[in-house]
Amino acid sequence: MMPHNAIFTALLSASLAFFCWSVYRRFSLVLHGQPEERLDHPARRLKEMLLYAFAQMRVLKKPFGLNHFVIFWSFMILAIANGEFLLNGVFPSVSLSLLPEGVHRFLLFAFDLVSLFTLVAIVLAFGRRLIVKPPYLDSLYVKGRSVEGFLILAFIALLMVAYFGLHGALIAQGRESVASAMPISSLVAGFLPAGSLGGVELVSWWLHAIVLLAFICFLPHSKHMHILTAIPNCYLGSLDWPATQPRETFEKGQLFGVGSVERFTWKDLFDSFSCTECGRCQAACPATCTGKPLNPRQIVHAIKTNLLENSQALREGRSGTLPLIGDEGEGTNTEDAIWSCTTCGACIEACPVLIEQMPKIIKMRRHLVETEARFPEELLNLFENMEQRSNPWGIAPGERAKWVSTMEVRPFVAGETEYLLYVGCAGSFDSRAKQVTVALATVLDAAGVSWGILGKDEKCCGDSLRRLGNEFLFDKMARENVELFRERKVTKVITLCPHCLTTLKNDYRQYGLELEVVHQSELVARLIAQGRIKLDGSDKSLGKISYHDPCYLGRHNGVFDAPRGAIEAATGSAPQELERHGRNSFCCGAGGGRMWMEEFIGERVNHARVDEALAGNPDTICVACPYCMTMMEDGLKDKGANNVRVKDVIEVVAEGLMRKELRKG
Amino acid sequence: MTEAPKPPKKPRGKAALLEDKCIACGARCQSVCPVDAIKMNDAGEPIIDASRCIGCVKCVKVCPVQALQMSFTPEELRILEELAATAAPEAPEEDPEEAALRKRLSVYSGVWVFVEQTEGEAAKVSWELLGKGKELARARKCGLFAVVMGENVEHLCSQAFGYGAETVYLMDAPVLRHYRTESYQKSLCALIEKYKPEVILMGATGLGRDLAGVVATVVGTGLTADCTGLSVDEKGNLMQTRPAFGGNIMATIVCDKFRPQMSTVRPHVMAMPEFDPQARGETVREPVPVTEDEIQVKVLEILMDGSGSKVDIAGAEFIVSGGRGMMGKENFAMLQELADVLGGVVGASRSAVDAGWMPQDRQVGQTGKTVRPKVYIACGISGAIQHLVGMQDSDVVIAINRDPEAPIFQVASYGLVGDLFRIIPALTGKLKALKAARQRA
Repeated sequence: MMPHNAIFTALLSASLAFFCWSVYRRFSLVLHGQPEERLDHPARRLKEMLLYAFAQMRVLKKPFGLNHFVIFWSFMILAIANGEFLLNGVFPSVSLSLLPEGVHRFLLFAFDLVSLFTLVAIVLAFGRRLIVKPPYLDSLYVKGRSVEGFLILAFIALLMVAYFGLHGALIAQGRESVASAMPISSLVAGFLPAGSLGGVELVSWWLHAIVLLAFICFLPHSKHMHILTAIPNCYLGSLDWPATQPRETFEKGQLFGVGSVERFTWKDLFDSFSCTECGRCQAACPATCTGKPLNPRQIVHAIKTNLLENSQALREGRSGTLPLIGDEGEGTNTEDAIWSCTTCGACIEACPVLIEQMPKIIKMRRHLVETEARFPEELLNLFENMEQRSNPWGIAPGERAKWVSTMEVRPFVAGETEYLLYVGCAGSFDSRAKQVTVALATVLDAAGVSWGILGKDEKCCGDSLRRLGNEFLFDKMARENVELFRERKVTKVITLCPHCLTTLKNDYRQYGLELEVVHQSELVARLIAQGRIKLDGSDKSLGKISYHDPCYLGRHNGVFDAPRGAIEAATGSAPQELERHGRNSFCCGAGGGRMWMEEFIGERVNHARVDEALAGNPDTICVACPYCMTMMEDGLKDKGANNVRVKDVIEVVAEGLMRKELRKG
Repeated sequence: MTEAPKPPKKPRGKAALLEDKCIACGARCQSVCPVDAIKMNDAGEPIIDASRCIGCVKCVKVCPVQALQMSFTPEELRILEELAATAAPEAPEEDPEEAALRKRLSVYSGVWVFVEQTEGEAAKVSWELLGKGKELARARKCGLFAVVMGENVEHLCSQAFGYGAETVYLMDAPVLRHYRTESYQKSLCALIEKYKPEVILMGATGLGRDLAGVVATVVGTGLTADCTGLSVDEKGNLMQTRPAFGGNIMATIVCDKFRPQMSTVRPHVMAMPEFDPQARGETVREPVPVTEDEIQVKVLEILMDGSGSKVDIAGAEFIVSGGRGMMGKENFAMLQELADVLGGVVGASRSAVDAGWMPQDRQVGQTGKTVRPKVYIACGISGAIQHLVGMQDSDVVIAINRDPEAPIFQVASYGLVGDLFRIIPALTGKLKALKAARQRA
């Protein structure tokens, strides 16, 4: 007896039509976004897709990711089974049994096995949401224990149950030719009541059919849309680390930044359809973790909600009525949320499907700064100082070279000096960071590196401005700096600060300036490896050292080993790691221009980080960034941990050298 | 040919460039040349086409480094010598343009100070400017005028006299009750049109910056903002000095072709003059040239800054500031006591505000207020750069800190290394004793 093919064919056609219509409705919205090049370098993109979508590299970074890995691959394999099921439902003569027997047996064996795996994985997923439920599953508008989440899990579980029911019944009736290849279905067959096998078969078949069709219809309307979008999203991901913001052009009639959802690029909008609400970004975000109104997942969710809510208007060529930036509400981002971002990039690092959350925040900042002129009032001072004196504090540029007072001033001269030492604002003006600059200069001299400075001609790199969305001013300063570097024929640069590093290396590339830029810690590690700096690893004066990865050195520029190696060379032992370190390091709270703002809401980010560092009872916290230095020192003072010091990596190296000299002398 | 030969015409010569003198100032010579005889080469130096030059000397005059001079042929030199020998030295010929300019400017006279007021209370910077204005008026041998605008603000006239004004132009009408750019601009421009002052000074406050800019634009004259020094030269030009190029140089700016000459000056830059309660002067009531109907902008409501305390640390002359070294909220009473004796206010560093020891509006520094009091006493403040930039322009900085290495000592005029819990009470006690002694004397 074959189920009613006609009814099924009608249902399938209706479901597929609905599915296609829904997918078209949603995906056509993406085309309302601005253009962006994301189709170049297909080979590289294919590789990314294989690594992140198919090999699930990011998913597997958390232990429970294995569960998803199992479900994902089961889905891939069962796609064949479901394909057969649908075809067979329409054309009863089409079946896998048409294949050579060996292949047929193997496939059915595989289906049997992965269906069981899936069932187990779904039960675990149920349990996780119901019993343990990690807090990061909940955001303001999407809860871990949502009807939608459980419904999807139930759909999948039912599909598996129906699969075993159907095949069990077929085996029990002796109608399955390769029953011996199906251990689990055979087991199920033994439990089925002999009298109603036909009924079980019919019910299972229709259950499988209805759930599968319901799933197809529901998919494009749920967060499980990621089943369709995640794989292409990995293909379309940024080929470079996406923390560098794109340039803006400044012409009459131009709009700046993103003030309404259609101002995002199509890829930004596509990102929002790819989010599964897994909550990994929010678990990693320093703002979310310290009680700020920002949640990177919610930013992405708001874009999706806003796009859908305003879809009618967009289709009619109007702007939507639901504001993208405004008071708290689903589909709207608050200004407080937008200003809470430290641009640390932890969200980008955490996302399993390569969504780029942070750059979207910067785009909205640009709108607030450049179009609305609305930003935290503390920033007015910063913007003025940057514009007028090219440093954040408004100190006279003539004082830039004062750190050098204890040594001979060495101007950079092309052809004679190898490296430009780009001191940066902190290294030039901040009394604590000036000590780091002197330490760096001492180490460079000890290694016989030829270096020179620009002195009072040096200008701020503009990092904070760009991250704060003041692209207009950044653009002006970047042009001036690029011009200056070209004029002075600078080719190799050492920076003291990871923020200067990233700006000179990554941001200025957009202005056609290709420099060889190294952070001091990278250069020092290289000099140690070359034997130009000789340390004997015996300096124990700093006690137990913990190393804090600066976001802009580690995550944003991939420098992890150099500072650790330098510390080890000086002290003889590798630094102790904080709980969150390396690519998963936690921000100090000063990036993204947060250095120049007050932190009124929630716990201070630097307090959270200092607590984490203090858990390891270090004597010294080692950093490699002047912002981290300030934040750590302040945090330690606030926490009353007066016996813990903060040192820059280069200071550790300098002291190691000095003590070695002393012992010799 | 019976006609007697005419005396030879005085040769005017041709402009010529002196070698190595040109600084490529930006083609000023080219821009003044009336006959387009000057072209610029790639280095920004002039190339003079002698066949076109008419010897008007304009380029020579405009050159900032005297890199141009008039050159004469030997023949012309001979004529010049002859002329010098024969003719009586003629009076130096005045450039007709210059004469016209001098005539145009000469109708302007008097130094004006705009008296800024809110709700009938004058901004102190206006009185500071009257002090400076007095000096300028004396140098120019002209009157010192104050301009008072508002509603029910006549009482400010007598205050203006007390601070040195000789005459006050008073515009008192409901339409001027609240500052609005349009109404104030029209009123002030009408006054300028009527009385033609040569100098107008305003405070570089929010109001002053707004008004000065729009008035200067409307009357078509120059404006120098944020001046730190003002004087007049012998020609009556106001020498307006202000920091330029990011504070690396002091630029003196002159507005020599237009009048009035307008400047704004930030509060606390000029010294506050002595107030003379006996001083009297003339109040001239002026009609207000605008009516409410003409003004588009309406003031519906004034929302005051919500912060509870009324203490204005930005305008205080004495500030006693506490930081993390104060150890606790209760210890700020000690600073308040010292501030009371000095007649000052208590400020705080960010960490003290963060700890909840002081309210946010007392915060000094990058993300707080920028202050420039006469005396700033920093107690238990290490002096991170974020704090220093908010107070380093204070006249005198006294730092009290246990740590001799604290960066605050780098900007301090006087540094006390020691326990502030002993130093401050001692200081307060001494000051009280001094005060008591003075009162007895």
